[in-house]
Amino acid sequence: MENIFFNINGQKITCPSGTTVLTAATQNGIYIPTLCYHPDLKPYGACRICLVEDKKSGRLMASCVTPAMQDMAVLTDTHRILNHRRNIVRLMMAEHPESCIVCGKGNRCELRKIAAQLGVAEHGLYRMPNYKPFEQINPFITRDLSKCILCGKCIRADHELVVLGAIDYNNRGFRSRPATIHETALENSNCTFCGTCVSVCPTGALAPKYFRHAGTPEREGDSICGFCGAGCSLSIGVSGQKIVEVNPSPYQGTVNGVTLCVRGHFANDYINTPDRLTNPMVRNKDINLKDEHVNVSWDVAMETVVSKLSEIKRKYGPQSIAFIGSSKCSNEENYLFQKIARVIFGTNNVINGGYASGQMLLSYIEKKTYGTCRVAPLSDLKQAEVIIAINADTSHTVPVAGYHIKRAAGNGSFLIVIDSERTDLATLSKQWIRPLPSAKMQTSFADLINLICRKILKNKSYDQKFVESYTDGLDQFAESINTLDENKILKENGIQEQELKKAADLINGKIVAFVIGPDILHNPESIRTVDALFNLALITGNLANKGSGFYIPVAENNLVGAFDMGVVPDYLPGRRLFSFDENKIILEKQWQVKLASEPGLDMLSFIKGAESGQIKAVYIMGENLIRTLPQPQRVEAALGRLEFVVVQDIVNNRCTKLADVILPAAVFAEKSGSFTNMEGRIQTFTPVALPPGEARADWQILSHLAKKMGYPEQYETIEKIRQEIRRIVPMYERLGNHRQDWIKNNDFQTPFSGNDHRFLFSSVTSKSTLPIDESYPFTARIGSLRFHLGSGTRTARSERIRLYGKKGEIEISGADCLKLGLDVCKIIRVKSVYGFIERGFKTNTDLPAGQIFIPMAVNNNDVMNLINLEQLRQSDPCAAKACRVRIEKI
Amino acid sequence: MEAEPIDLNSISELIKKHQDEKWGLIPLLQEIQESIGYIPVETIEPIAQALKLSPAHVQGVVTFYSGFATEPKGKCVLKVCRGTACHVKGGKSVLNIIKKELNLEEGKTSPDYQFTLETVACLGACFLAPTLMANRDYYGKLSPKKITSILDQYGRLKGEE
Repeated sequence: MENIFFNINGQKITCPSGTTVLTAATQNGIYIPTLCYHPDLKPYGACRICLVEDKKSGRLMASCVTPAMQDMAVLTDTHRILNHRRNIVRLMMAEHPESCIVCGKGNRCELRKIAAQLGVAEHGLYRMPNYKPFEQINPFITRDLSKCILCGKCIRADHELVVLGAIDYNNRGFRSRPATIHETALENSNCTFCGTCVSVCPTGALAPKYFRHAGTPEREGDSICGFCGAGCSLSIGVSGQKIVEVNPSPYQGTVNGVTLCVRGHFANDYINTPDRLTNPMVRNKDINLKDEHVNVSWDVAMETVVSKLSEIKRKYGPQSIAFIGSSKCSNEENYLFQKIARVIFGTNNVINGGYASGQMLLSYIEKKTYGTCRVAPLSDLKQAEVIIAINADTSHTVPVAGYHIKRAAGNGSFLIVIDSERTDLATLSKQWIRPLPSAKMQTSFADLINLICRKILKNKSYDQKFVESYTDGLDQFAESINTLDENKILKENGIQEQELKKAADLINGKIVAFVIGPDILHNPESIRTVDALFNLALITGNLANKGSGFYIPVAENNLVGAFDMGVVPDYLPGRRLFSFDENKIILEKQWQVKLASEPGLDMLSFIKGAESGQIKAVYIMGENLIRTLPQPQRVEAALGRLEFVVVQDIVNNRCTKLADVILPAAVFAEKSGSFTNMEGRIQTFTPVALPPGEARADWQILSHLAKKMGYPEQYETIEKIRQEIRRIVPMYERLGNHRQDWIKNNDFQTPFSGNDHRFLFSSVTSKSTLPIDESYPFTARIGSLRFHLGSGTRTARSERIRLYGKKGEIEISGADCLKLGLDVCKIIRVKSVYGFIERGFKTNTDLPAGQIFIPMAVNNNDVMNLINLEQLRQSDPCAAKACRVRIEKI
Repeated sequence: MEAEPIDLNSISELIKKHQDEKWGLIPLLQEIQESIGYIPVETIEPIAQALKLSPAHVQGVVTFYSGFATEPKGKCVLKVCRGTACHVKGGKSVLNIIKKELNLEEGKTSPDYQFTLETVACLGACFLAPTLMANRDYYGKLSPKKITSILDQYGRLKGEE
């Protein structure tokens, strides 16, 4: 783009043509005050505070919407401009309530800041306050629209960034105010309480609801959100040692920009819960004393851990101990954790809870792509011409990733959604392929995608150059794909042939991104679906282009990192397959030990091992197994059989009740570390508050343990662990260099260094049809609502989320409600082969008949009673979140 | 007397007609306003869904323009000019007389849905001051007598009947 030259206040400015005067001024260090401008939003020109004067014509122009022109001469602070700005501010103040002393915005109020800068103390005008009712019923956002200055930032952020449309201006002139549909309260509208409007509001019109602390926090510090896999940058406000407010961080280039979701913005108050563990404890096993936990010093607690674990290792061998790491803990902690297990204790029994919620997909794609597609920046989505989202309900699971997809769709990327439910994305999509819900339990996705592939192959419109130079096995694939019975598949799924043809025509020759919802794991044979998508990516040449690739919106903040650090049974750190002896040799050389030859146990075999007595002890770091795993009673009984249980966690839970030793840990905001998000972005953070009582960061506890076990290397600082990670895990060589950096992809050429390393098509296999037990006529999808994350160990302890009072009603389609005659009874019983739950219900018109939705995380996550633990098979942890049920009235 | 029930079917036909137009919202709203006299709030959501807009956005457009009403109006909409020229010529008295004659407040509709009384800032017919507009017709140089005859003309119910 060509550059233009002009001047501001006599200073020579060069900028690309099309730049606004405001942007050019800001880039050159010239300050122009603004109220309605925000760098992430389209310029709007509403407030007129940014007025500047054209020297030649004397015209006043709003600099945020005026493009700089060649040879323009602009003045920014003449007497005349200042006078105009003052008058604008005076008029705003005349309408503004005089409530600064009780306004929570305090000194962060931009109106007040600008008034101060311009020297406006008294407005000296007739007061015309525009009183509106103060809304503060919901526990997240308070609205006092009498303080609204009509900058439109909230509305624009809602439309442009969150792409929701919950609010817009109502009326005109003096009466106009942002409003929801029918001017209802936020909680009755489709508002998701992401709080983005609160973050951008320049005044106190929109504010977080204050509970224990109101107003400006004492200090603010940056951190990375510890909830979902988006990894949003936070700015956390602290007063005393209490976390009182959370906002998006002010940096550019973060995943979230100025957006957040309801969890990140409002649910982090769980950190202040009275349930926090503050003291190391051991269980009194002396029969003369009561069986209870007593507070001890760190030294005593660690002594107990070390002596008991060493004794068990001596008596029963290293394979009798299991280590359960956490997809919520940092990379450094997970690395150290698995090192302690593998090197000091000599066992490969390291597991984390994230396997069933995304790591399986991750490892499969890693295998198929030879590590060339590890990084998938969400911001690249806007370069995708087509986005195919499969079974991804991002607005509830990973909202910020959803915003990226919706924004791309709004800016012209063609969104194709394959899902039986009407999700947020389905509403926005250009094409919605909606298979029948019964198909959800019966693998429809793979077949449908295969049929699309077949249409592309038939037209010979595939990317021949890509296929020839990078892939192998097209012929076999083409042969196997021809065995599919198209009519049968279409009929089973209730799909018309034209729909698939339309999709095939659209994808043809385009840059395509694939969004694979972790919900895909609810689908039996999810591997077939990923295979089908991978084949589609290969024939369309969509692996290396910018904007193409695989996006997995994972549900946990460090699910990727825990996998990369090797806290999984079948991988060593650095995504090195355990089954490759070569990999073992590399790490044995680095760590200077002989690794145990037995591969680790997966979660299911661990529980079975505990039941059979093969496992004697477990060290659990940051996992609440009894709440997250299916069949909680079975899990509880299994853990109860163990000789020794160490639980290192942040809050009291059912696992700590069973523990012999409890080690209190710090939450993300109280420690240093790094998380790797779903994109492959490594983000480091430092503490913003102190942990409560005696609690310590997990890595400090682990380094204490290593020291007590007599391990020669000391890990006194986080940097020491990072150094080792950088050395041992080449894909993390950039860890800790910057606030954020990326994991390293394998070079795209790597697969071709040897002949047998080309991308391989997967042959289409026919699905194994599961017999359907007709006495359980409904398919239940078990998932999170946006107010909770996963099993809700943390979010259920958030005061705000609790006050919001979502009871987790079971959602049933209108047709089924009628059929079952459910309109009279209030509570229903949902029964599966494995157990039952009782809850209220409501109708959801978006659900297809035959399917129900059961929210997780409420009622102590009782919904896990419905599912079979055996579904957590390591090779294919499928259907862990779906089951067949029947509904009974009570 | 009740406002006539709305025929939602006719509205969905109008929606169908406009839903694929690029800027179909305002023409659609105008047609709805034209055919049933106002835009029922319950049609906002179906309109938004068909045009792939957010309901809040549609509501924003409806409430922005005074040409769109969200409540049913009378058969005759009176717009009394409150501009400067009319004011000087006694526009305020014109308004007061109508208020009294119809027993109606500004911005309100009579219970029999015969009249709606509104004021406007200027009708742009200052040479006829004081003026009012009844539906699409202008009436100027008003006098009390002229006002009553206009009201009678537009079907004012006589008190005795």
